[in-house]
Amino acid sequence: MCDHTKNIYKPQLATIEAMIDETPDVRTLRLVFQDEAVRESFSFRAGQFAEYSAFGAGESTFCIASSPTRKGYIECCFRATGRVTEALRRLEVGETIGVRGPYGNSFPIESFFGKNLVFVAGGIALPPLRTVIWNCLDWRDKFGDITIVYGARTEADLVYKHELKEWQERGDVRLVKTVDPGGNSPGWDGKVGFVPTILEEAAPAAENTIGLVCGPPIMIKFTLPVLEKLGFKDDSIYTTLENRMKCGLGKCGRCNVGNVYVCKDGPVFTAAQVKGMPQEF
Amino acid sequence: MTKTITEQKLRSLMDLLLKEGRRVVAPRQAGSIVLYEPIDSGEQLVLGIMPRRSAKETFFPLCETILTYGKDGNGVMVSDVDAGAFPETILVGAPPCDAAAPAVLDAVFSWDYNDEFFLERRKKTIIIGLACTAADDACFCTAVGLSPRDDKGSDLFLTPVAGGGYLCDAVTKKGKVFLDTYASFLAGGEAKPLPSAEPAATPLDLAGIKDWLESNFESPLWQEFADRCAGCGACAFLCPVCHCFDIVDEGTETKGARRKSWDACGFGKFTNHASGHNPRDIQNKRYRNRIMHKFKYYQDKFGQTLCTGCGRCVRSCPVGIDIRAVLEEIQAKP
Ligand SMILES: Cc1cc2nc3c(=O)[nH]c(=O)nc-3n(C[C@H](O)[C@H](O)[C@H](O)COP(=O)(O)OP(=O)(O)OC[C@H]3O[C@@H](n4cnc5c(N)ncnc54)[C@H](O)[C@@H]3O)c2cc1C
Ligand code: SF4
Ligand code: FES
Repeated sequence: MCDHTKNIYKPQLATIEAMIDETPDVRTLRLVFQDEAVRESFSFRAGQFAEYSAFGAGESTFCIASSPTRKGYIECCFRATGRVTEALRRLEVGETIGVRGPYGNSFPIESFFGKNLVFVAGGIALPPLRTVIWNCLDWRDKFGDITIVYGARTEADLVYKHELKEWQERGDVRLVKTVDPGGNSPGWDGKVGFVPTILEEAAPAAENTIGLVCGPPIMIKFTLPVLEKLGFKDDSIYTTLENRMKCGLGKCGRCNVGNVYVCKDGPVFTAAQVKGMPQEF
Repeated sequence: MTKTITEQKLRSLMDLLLKEGRRVVAPRQAGSIVLYEPIDSGEQLVLGIMPRRSAKETFFPLCETILTYGKDGNGVMVSDVDAGAFPETILVGAPPCDAAAPAVLDAVFSWDYNDEFFLERRKKTIIIGLACTAADDACFCTAVGLSPRDDKGSDLFLTPVAGGGYLCDAVTKKGKVFLDTYASFLAGGEAKPLPSAEPAATPLDLAGIKDWLESNFESPLWQEFADRCAGCGACAFLCPVCHCFDIVDEGTETKGARRKSWDACGFGKFTNHASGHNPRDIQNKRYRNRIMHKFKYYQDKFGQTLCTGCGRCVRSCPVGIDIRAVLEEIQAKP
């Protein structure tokens, strides 16, 4: 990794091969590296993130939302909230964006072999788990039961709707989808209620099970006690922190929680690790 | 054997270095203040005055281009900056608090990923430090483990002597090679160093302070320490070892440059999430991060204190926050 003659801030170029509007303000981009050598050598692990540039606007941090088992491209999924994300939204299929990464640690998927998995996600936070979900589904025989509890404010806010359908139809995954009270249409075929409540109702067994939780801070706050009640131990629950980042490389001083640089030591942490940190996320 | 150099010879040595194509950065008059800036002649060298800003910008400019881009149809051309073309540089006349700082920053700019912008400049720079003979009442290098005659971080070290001129000691191998190359500017012989400055500050118990920080993230004292802090960032920008930066694009969608520019953890938007959530939403949390980073986190990560006691933050804080008073109060706690 220590290469004296390399500009660590220089992104690779990638072409937008396809895009999907997941919700009115959330978009998925499928990206293919323009340099053939990079296309072949780029490898990452589920949970890692990258810095994506819209030239002229700057860089934004998103997780790599596709699975490392799917080669030849990567995907990111982002909500338009500011300068860079709005600029990324203005790009069309065929145009070029910059990608720096992969950065950060990852989910220790190999250590989950032989166990059951419970994924709990809220809103726009499905992408960081979706990479793990597909990674695990592509290695389906390595795991026991797989449960996915996913919720959003309204039906329209659910991302990856086509994949939710796919998971629902697969016999080897239990998908529990929900929307907040009032967020459903008459034809809604999922649950109605907040994620923590629905998780408690779904009551996945904690025995030999790993919990993976991503969502807005408020959802995480109420989900962890539910998992605890269900019998999950803090060191078998994983989550990600999303402190604001710039460099992604442990230099710019922006992302720290206490003495932990989220960009280098994270973004993936166990609930036990998070509980040991100062309240700065 | 002791080597000495007269002030005149030192100035003519700088002239020769300039003639040889080297960049020479030194304290120099810039309007009404003194700043570290490239000089065009040895005459411009101002010795013995602490420049308003630190010497860190010799290695880590306020704002620097890290790449340029140009759009061409659907494609984008990204051009690298050739760090190999950074000029050979002599930084001369830096007091110990400034001369020691770049080596402290090596740690963060080289862990795992090498920031070539900083490190190439480090590699290409010879630091000629200068012992301090006059401290003011804000100086506190002696409180954080340095001293007015400390040659830490210098390649060559000058000590003013009675009757004018300097003792000139090689500190590193790089410094020794330099001295050998320019030996003709030096003289031998006896010389009596001028008494060095004596900052009033007594050594702080840095280990004890770190221990307190370890268990007092939530202390009500943070409110007290920072209630006046305006979050202006002056302390961070003037600090020789503060190194937070932003990465921004300047230009249009079709053509422009990406730049790395100084930032400060004291700014309100520094950690603001796009959602509006801000982990350090009030000033005392930001001030806490400043103290924690300097006296705990950087110790935890790299075994060093992120402060050289130059006193610039004390001199320049518009609301009179004195980091020494904060540290002394922490030190007095059980
Ligand atoms: C590890 C990690 C993974 C992440 N993964 C994802 C992901 O997969 N998908 C995703 O969508 N996000 C993700 N994020 C969050 C994402 O990085 C931010 O949402 C995004 O960078 C913000 O984009 P921006 O540059 O457009 O915002 P900026 O323009 O930089 O603006 C953000 C800041 O400016 C303020 N701001 C923005 N616009 C305005 C305005 N009009 N008026 C006033 N203030 C404004 C905001 O409050 C915010 O503080 C992740 C973050 C991290 C750290
Ligand atoms: S100089 Fe003073 S007011 Fe400005 S950020 Fe530093 S401590 Fe706060
Ligand atoms: S994002 Fe720059 S230090 Fe973590």
